[in-house]
Amino acid sequence: MSEAELVLFLEASVRLGVPLALAAMGEAITERAGVINVGLEGSMIAGALAGALGALAFGSGGAGVLAGAVAGGGVALVFAAFAIGLGTDQIITGTAITLAGLGFTGAVYQARFGATGTALTLPTLAPAPVPLLADVPIVGSALFAQAPTAYLAYALAPALWYWLFRTEWGLELRAVGDHPDAAAAAGVRVRRVRALATVFGGALAGIAGAHLALAHAGTFAENMSAGRGFIAIAVVALGRWNPALVFLAALFFGAASALQYLLQALGLDLPYQLFLALPYLLTLAALAGWFGRARAPAALAVPWPLRR
Amino acid sequence: MARPEQRRIDLGALSVAAGAVVAAGGVGALLLLAGGYEPLGAARAALAGAFGSTEALLSITLVRTVPLVLTGLAVAFAFRAGVWNIGAEGQLLAGAIAAAWVGLAGRALPSWVLVPVLLVLAGCAGALWALIPALMKLRLGVGEVITTLLMSFVAIHLTGWLVHGPLQEPRGIFPQTEAIAEAARLPALVPGTRLHAGAFIAIAAAVAVAWLFVRARIGFRMRAVGASSSAARIAGRIDTGPIVLVAFMGSGALAGLAGGVQVAGVTYALYEGFSPGWGYTAIAVALLAALNPLGVLATALLFGALEAGAAAMQRDAGVPAVWAMAVQALVILAVLALDRLRRRGGGGAARV
Amino acid sequence: MTAVLARLDGVARRFGSVQALAGASLEVRAGEVHAVLGENGAGKSTLLSVLGGMLRPDSGTIEVGGERVEFASPRDAWKRGIGLVHQHFTLVPALSGLENLALGRRSSPFRLRRTLEGLRADAESLMDRTGLAVPLDAPVEGLGVGEKQRLEILKVLLRDPSVVVLDEPTAALAPAEVTALFALLRSLAAEARAIVLVAHKIDEVLAVADRVTVLRRGRTTLTELRANVGAEALVRAMIGDPHVYAAALGVDASASHSRPTRTRGAVVATLDDVRACAPSGRLALDGVSLEIARGEIVGIAGVEGNGQRELALILAGRLRATAGSVRLPAGIGFVPQDRSHEGLVGDFDLAENVALALHADARFGGRATLAWAAIRAEAERVRDRFAIVSAGTSTRADMLSGGNQQRLVIGREMLVASDLLVAENPTRGLDVAATAFVHSELRRLTESPAGPGVVLVSSDLDEVLSLSDRVLVAAGGRLIPVPEHARSKQGVGALMLGGARGAA
Repeated sequence: MSEAELVLFLEASVRLGVPLALAAMGEAITERAGVINVGLEGSMIAGALAGALGALAFGSGGAGVLAGAVAGGGVALVFAAFAIGLGTDQIITGTAITLAGLGFTGAVYQARFGATGTALTLPTLAPAPVPLLADVPIVGSALFAQAPTAYLAYALAPALWYWLFRTEWGLELRAVGDHPDAAAAAGVRVRRVRALATVFGGALAGIAGAHLALAHAGTFAENMSAGRGFIAIAVVALGRWNPALVFLAALFFGAASALQYLLQALGLDLPYQLFLALPYLLTLAALAGWFGRARAPAALAVPWPLRR
Repeated sequence: MARPEQRRIDLGALSVAAGAVVAAGGVGALLLLAGGYEPLGAARAALAGAFGSTEALLSITLVRTVPLVLTGLAVAFAFRAGVWNIGAEGQLLAGAIAAAWVGLAGRALPSWVLVPVLLVLAGCAGALWALIPALMKLRLGVGEVITTLLMSFVAIHLTGWLVHGPLQEPRGIFPQTEAIAEAARLPALVPGTRLHAGAFIAIAAAVAVAWLFVRARIGFRMRAVGASSSAARIAGRIDTGPIVLVAFMGSGALAGLAGGVQVAGVTYALYEGFSPGWGYTAIAVALLAALNPLGVLATALLFGALEAGAAAMQRDAGVPAVWAMAVQALVILAVLALDRLRRRGGGGAARV
Repeated sequence: MTAVLARLDGVARRFGSVQALAGASLEVRAGEVHAVLGENGAGKSTLLSVLGGMLRPDSGTIEVGGERVEFASPRDAWKRGIGLVHQHFTLVPALSGLENLALGRRSSPFRLRRTLEGLRADAESLMDRTGLAVPLDAPVEGLGVGEKQRLEILKVLLRDPSVVVLDEPTAALAPAEVTALFALLRSLAAEARAIVLVAHKIDEVLAVADRVTVLRRGRTTLTELRANVGAEALVRAMIGDPHVYAAALGVDASASHSRPTRTRGAVVATLDDVRACAPSGRLALDGVSLEIARGEIVGIAGVEGNGQRELALILAGRLRATAGSVRLPAGIGFVPQDRSHEGLVGDFDLAENVALALHADARFGGRATLAWAAIRAEAERVRDRFAIVSAGTSTRADMLSGGNQQRLVIGREMLVASDLLVAENPTRGLDVAATAFVHSELRRLTESPAGPGVVLVSSDLDEVLSLSDRVLVAAGGRLIPVPEHARSKQGVGALMLGGARGAA
């Protein structure tokens, strides 16, 4: 493998890993608060559409990202209203929110651009090489010649880790996910924390969706999130609910997808679909405890207050 | 819940389901209006597309209903025992893979051997696919929500590999298998339509699961474990492990059977993107039926009709078919909300 | 007259159709230990939750230091100097003791480590002063019951409250630990704080209280200085009804007497040198031998966590011993301690709940099927015989009151207990009338030497002493027979504590 191919592979791994990383780090925070948001896919596709529309309306990729965050957070707020406000089952609610997201974005898109869907040309999020860093051989061009959203992901990984494990708010959030009754007795507003964590996770998924539309595809297509919201939930498990590890796990998932390009470039006829399955098998292995004990938050997916 | 003998007529659940359909229809109509469409025209087109002709009913609606019945039963079977199997999608694919393989490899066999073998192996493959999450739950205490989801992704990629590789049609152009042997196919129920004998299988499965829950000792034990695993263990002296295993295996087998029936009755081949998400829609089907096996027949028909009607709605009223998906979502949300409100309102009222 | 620190007036609160509080009042003064008494369901815990800011009342007023206040959360209550020690532990198992103390303080939100270190110094000096020793760095899930209890109290005291509210703090403590806790409460009261105390065991709280408030059906029926009120007046204020009152006295009066000696029947169950593990994997039973005969009631006393749970499960056939020999009869009934989670399925109706005990019985169905008509007939009999108040056998179990739920569990288990009945704290959480009923049923069951043997595991010493033919104390995973001369609360208490020390 030549250096150029290696750079290509690394660059693609990061590019494919970034949307997963954004969504999964958000979901990690949500799950740490005891909420599993299977509706993440809905937030992501809403973020993609809002990102496209926002970029189109304001003529800038940055505005698109903001619009994506708002839309993703808004969809998560609907999820929160049901699952946290009414105390409905999180899995079923999430499934419905995903269906709703896919359905309504498709409907809005077709209403706006016609049934066949004209290929949109959007103001994109162009790669923004970081001076100096981008010049480092191999790693530099792979890591530091990415879209701005990638740098957001780099910054969030340590920031969220610090926030979760080194601040009192993080302590409260973890308490809410482990033993909500105890957190409530200590004066923590459990449902508020859960709702905020859910909306935060949704907003990051929305940014991930906007990244897909603006930095990846340069257009919107129905169902373009293609299951990444669900994949993000797997990434969280592989990253053991720790934002920094979740970031690395997302890059690993990205690398597995990037492998097909590498194999093509190398002219190797290996069954890349099997490599695509690899991260999921590894996540299963991680959950089975092959790499040490990974424990989900104790109150994950348990409504609070408990229904009678 | 009513007494076991009467569980078929659970008025509370029935009113929630009916209310949800009405509410979702209403909200959907308002949204259609807001989107600049004509709701009545859309509804008329959808109804005509789903039920308007024998052809529409038998070849489209009922054909779409069959896999939803079987996967809906799969979900209800697991959920009733407290097993959150959300991986019916993967188990269905495992069944479809097994069915395609049997249908291709068994060309020499007569139909009366091949069809039963195909269906049984499809069920076994689905059960096998559920076995890994089951063992992870029972042996390692790993929750099944994430593992069943992961297994679905593995199945999707495995299918992708098979139809690009070992099972690809001989010319190697399309990502699909060759058509399975004629002898492996399910017979048509009504000549000239696409309705196949799988409809009988689906109805029989629903009746069997209903009987199991109401009459059978194992069904009672499953319901006990699902309603309160601690009470089942302590008061009922039920060893929950085997019950959970049965729930996983049965659920996987029903989903695998759905895949087998689809291959043998409709597609005659396996291809990339085989399932449009039946395994996920099944969660909604089962929920709307309040996990009642006979209710699943009705709700699967509703969702099948919705999908059939969506195509007609797009063709005849210009309303995008994706609206059907949005309406499905509204139905689920309405069920969830109404069910919670009903419990909240009536929860303590009858306390003696 | 000392200063009034807090006053609740005319407080009402409803849960669904249940009126938990209907005009309750409470006034606490500086320097006093104030006991709140009442039957189960009288509204004690609800009232304390209102005072602690956990619940908002539907109506009524709260005054702290003479000022009207409204609490939106427990945080508001702390700010006013009210600290609540909960009945159930409110500690996060995965966090350390220190992190649990830090939870919700918000002293320097961005610097968790600094908060923790500052707190460590405070906690250590408070531990020195009060004698509440707790390991601070280990995850709470590994701590013992007593340690968790001390941590709970420490958590509240760290906020230096002027009113300390304790909801059932003695339930899990050994008698000597209770004495130490009460001494601490006295010294806290001496610092011009007010202590509000709820406890199940009336005599226990009366020994320490300066004033008492009694609740009945959500209303305050009595507030008086302890010295001015007799036991009879208290009980009357609590239960109101003279008939029930007599029954209550009947139970209490026999508390210190053992049953008349009677002939023992045939042995139905034998344990020989049995070992067993708790769910945590810890060795909970360490070489226990026991014989149960027909027609006798064997009482097992002990501080919780000394192996009696595992002993009950083994005798009931619900747990397998890891070593030793166990011989059990076929017809075993088991009344588990936690009836709503272990005894009943709330979503099931009466008949289905009865089926829980019959579903493996060949007489109730075919090889693979259940005969619901026969099961429903049995359920009907249980309902009649035990006077369960419900619309019919199709009523869901979670629609029944606590007393009726317990009647259902006991009725069902007596149905199958032809040889042996194991009952774990069968009257915990029941009111006086329901308790008397359960006691009379246990006595009736063992009237003849042909009846089943009964094992009564209870942390209520009065109950064990008044009902049992013989008493054993579970301590450190072993059973200590109580000799006849030590059959008193003091004697058994001493054995319980000795064993608890041995286990630690």
